[in-house]
Amino acid sequence: MAQVTGNIHVGLAALGAAIGVGLIGAKASEAVGRNPGAATKILVQSILAIAFAEGIVFFAIFLATRGWPS
Amino acid sequence: MSPALRTKLGFNRGGITVFRSGLFDALAMMRLIKVILVLLLVAGLPAAVWGAQEAVLSEAHTDPVAHVEDHKAEHVLPAHAVELWRPFGFPITNSMLVTWIVAVGLIVFAQIATRRMQDVPSGLQNFWEWLVEGLYSFLEGIIGQDLVKKTFWFFATIFIFILFANWVGLIPGVGTIGYKGPDGHIAAPWFRGANADLNMTLAMAMVFFLCWTIWALQSNGPIGFLKHLFAPKGETTGLLKLLMIVVFLAVGVLEVISILFRPVSLSFRLYGNIFAGENMLEAMARLVPGWLGSILIPIPFYFMELLVGLVQALVFMLLTAVFTMLICQHDEEHAGAHH
Repeated sequence: MAQVTGNIHVGLAALGAAIGVGLIGAKASEAVGRNPGAATKILVQSILAIAFAEGIVFFAIFLATRGWPS
Repeated sequence: MSPALRTKLGFNRGGITVFRSGLFDALAMMRLIKVILVLLLVAGLPAAVWGAQEAVLSEAHTDPVAHVEDHKAEHVLPAHAVELWRPFGFPITNSMLVTWIVAVGLIVFAQIATRRMQDVPSGLQNFWEWLVEGLYSFLEGIIGQDLVKKTFWFFATIFIFILFANWVGLIPGVGTIGYKGPDGHIAAPWFRGANADLNMTLAMAMVFFLCWTIWALQSNGPIGFLKHLFAPKGETTGLLKLLMIVVFLAVGVLEVISILFRPVSLSFRLYGNIFAGENMLEAMARLVPGWLGSILIPIPFYFMELLVGLVQALVFMLLTAVFTMLICQHDEEHAGAHH
């Protein structure tokens, strides 16, 4: 474990965001399956939710990387 | 395009009365789109200047590190746009160049398409009508009839501009044609995706933030704006009401913080996606040595980047639209109650 260096926080953030995006996608497709008529509304909701989930990764990358202009 | 919508959008030029009484004047809308494009350009300039100076400073700072990295990991895409020329002390970066090309291209494109407006559109006019009408009905379904009339110009412009800026950045030659550095690699490409520059995305996010504030104040009034943020919602009486006031004050503070972070997250999201995409395409081209591998391997990722460009334009537009809707909701509640 002593050799594990680098941007671990970015990896963890990416892991969490990937799980989150997967859950959103699973639930969204399930919802479309239950109510195909609401497909557009569900698409909008899920795109928004996915955008918020993946935003975390960018915060992790930009705010915690060394060498970022400060 | 249905006749009713054509009338509504003002595309129907059959009778002058219909044209005048239409909710939307197509020409005025085009003018508005052009105005906001110019505004975007102007807004992008100071940020780009600041960014260029910052970039130069940070380059000087991290120079020794960069040299070491250069030997280890070949040649990577710089995180900031590279300055190309400096006429009259005004720095021009490669991302600014692409921004201008896209903006001018869109303006010319729209001009040519709407030069001779026809009742039955074909060709370019048909394309723009399809795009604008599609966006209008899509946004109408999300933020409601009244709000879309007031704010459509902004969201349509932001979507169209981001979409084409992203796709122009994917044209082969962008990022690979330019001045050679001393090591034989392209050190200063002439073109770089417009949104692969944090200054551009931040400028757009700040323009939105300004518009958002104006719209919020217009629809709520200064008192209503503060009430919307801090006042308690729901029906309570007595001691519970007092408690609710305190709770909602705290909630309001959190809300203000999250609102202030919106421009940051909006700009980071767009920049991060586009910059990461360009980086990935470069990495994939280097994955297998030899010319065949560097041509074939990036192709699937190229199509993914096309999709990402569309989705990110959509996300930027959707997020800004939803943020606007959330603050202007007071008026919408009564209008929406009839549905």
